[in-house]
Amino acid sequence: MSGREDLKPLLKEASIYQSQGLLDQAKEKLLEILQLIKKDQELSKDKEFIDEVNNKLKSVESDLTDVDEAPDTAELDDKVQDLISNLFSFSKNKDVAAIEGAVALAKFGQYEKALAQLQKLINEGTLPLMAAKNMLRCHLLLASPKEAVEQYKRWVSRTSFSKGELKTLRDFLANSLQKDGIKVNLPKVDESAPDKGKDSGRAEDILEISTVRVKFDQGPLKGQALDFDVVFQMGNTVSFIIKQKEKDLVNLLKPGSRLSNIQCYSPMSLFNASGVISERKKIETGAKRGHYSFDLTIDGQ
Amino acid sequence: MAVFNVKDRIIECKLVYYGSGRGGKTTNLEYIHKAGKKYVSEDMVSINTKGDRTLFFDFLPIGLGKIRGCDVKVQLYTVPGQAKYSSTRKLVLKNVDGLVFVADSLEVRRKANMLSLKDLQQNLAEMNISIFKIPLVLQFNKRDLADEGLPIMSLELMNKELNSKLKAPYFGASAVKGDGVQQTLKKALELTLKHLQKELKWSQ
Repeated sequence: MSGREDLKPLLKEASIYQSQGLLDQAKEKLLEILQLIKKDQELSKDKEFIDEVNNKLKSVESDLTDVDEAPDTAELDDKVQDLISNLFSFSKNKDVAAIEGAVALAKFGQYEKALAQLQKLINEGTLPLMAAKNMLRCHLLLASPKEAVEQYKRWVSRTSFSKGELKTLRDFLANSLQKDGIKVNLPKVDESAPDKGKDSGRAEDILEISTVRVKFDQGPLKGQALDFDVVFQMGNTVSFIIKQKEKDLVNLLKPGSRLSNIQCYSPMSLFNASGVISERKKIETGAKRGHYSFDLTIDGQ
Repeated sequence: MAVFNVKDRIIECKLVYYGSGRGGKTTNLEYIHKAGKKYVSEDMVSINTKGDRTLFFDFLPIGLGKIRGCDVKVQLYTVPGQAKYSSTRKLVLKNVDGLVFVADSLEVRRKANMLSLKDLQQNLAEMNISIFKIPLVLQFNKRDLADEGLPIMSLELMNKELNSKLKAPYFGASAVKGDGVQQTLKKALELTLKHLQKELKWSQ
């Protein structure tokens, strides 16, 4: 090896990797250079060159530390938070979209804004139970189970929710805490007290389901799990389409067929369910003519 | 999923730039923002770290004007490429209509490209989307680094390793210089709009 000149291209390579932000690759290259220097009788005595390479290595390692220690979330300004809220709410239902927007903020680490939006939705009576559950989830995501419990206690002492809704929230919080291995005595709802809260009108908020996964436990499709995109939902009845060429599947899902192993995917959760095929009809007009539309009524949860 | 406002004849669709970290996704959008003044009426939004790594996403809305009587608006996004931001990538991919996969031509990023493509395939599959059916263009970026004497993979090798099954259109590029950026975007838009035309029966 004829010294520094031979190693210059490798040094240049390391520098370019560093400038590209490819810090692991830059570090690897610099360590390779140091190894080559060590093996060379002349270069191993070249303190100036060794220092130069070591300084570059320190610079790369410093950059690596900065990257590793960079926070996984960032405080964003109102404009960007509003953008997130709009861009990441997909539902055609305005109320569900409002919840999705708030949940999106939480997913991007904007918890304070998410909590404020969800509280606003509760105050407005927009899917209050769903909003409340997501507030509790936010607190749990922030590793603040204590704050989740305090929030629940505030709802109990105020008139935000009816007794029925409070019971739902209590069960939800208790289950979530249990999953995290946390034992807390949550205040029970006083059955004897008059119901001060105003019920939102629904015993349980309806989740918008985007996909159902049906697992077949018997018959010709035993062991298989198939996903169906929901094209329409009315309450707990979802509709999906199966192409006409899938004759076996079309024939299998007769009206009245009970499906006991279903997974329902909504923007905010995944849950197990069972249900009945309530309708099967051939589509006579439009782009999907010839295919089959199915209604699946999901058992009450 | 594209939004088609029948009454106002507006189509809005979503194109996501995907790929491994530091591969040039953000640079692509920065170039489009700078060079495409005719189509870009709003600022690009970038949410990144101090080191200029994309933390959440980049967002750039562009308007293509009227096509077959419909006002076509496209939202361009990038995802964060670092492995640890997996959940953010899934969120940004939601309702995607078309994809540009930006691969890094540097030899040292060969494995990272493959892992990122696999990650994309898995995330799409979780959304019941087949990578073989969604409009997709591959970009083999950083071709200019060959002039700096850096070892880069040939287009043939990259095509073989990343695209032999997908058979998607692909372009060599240097996003930092702007080479190949517009061609990539144009092809991605063409495929996406054709796909949407079929799905939405738009021309009717």
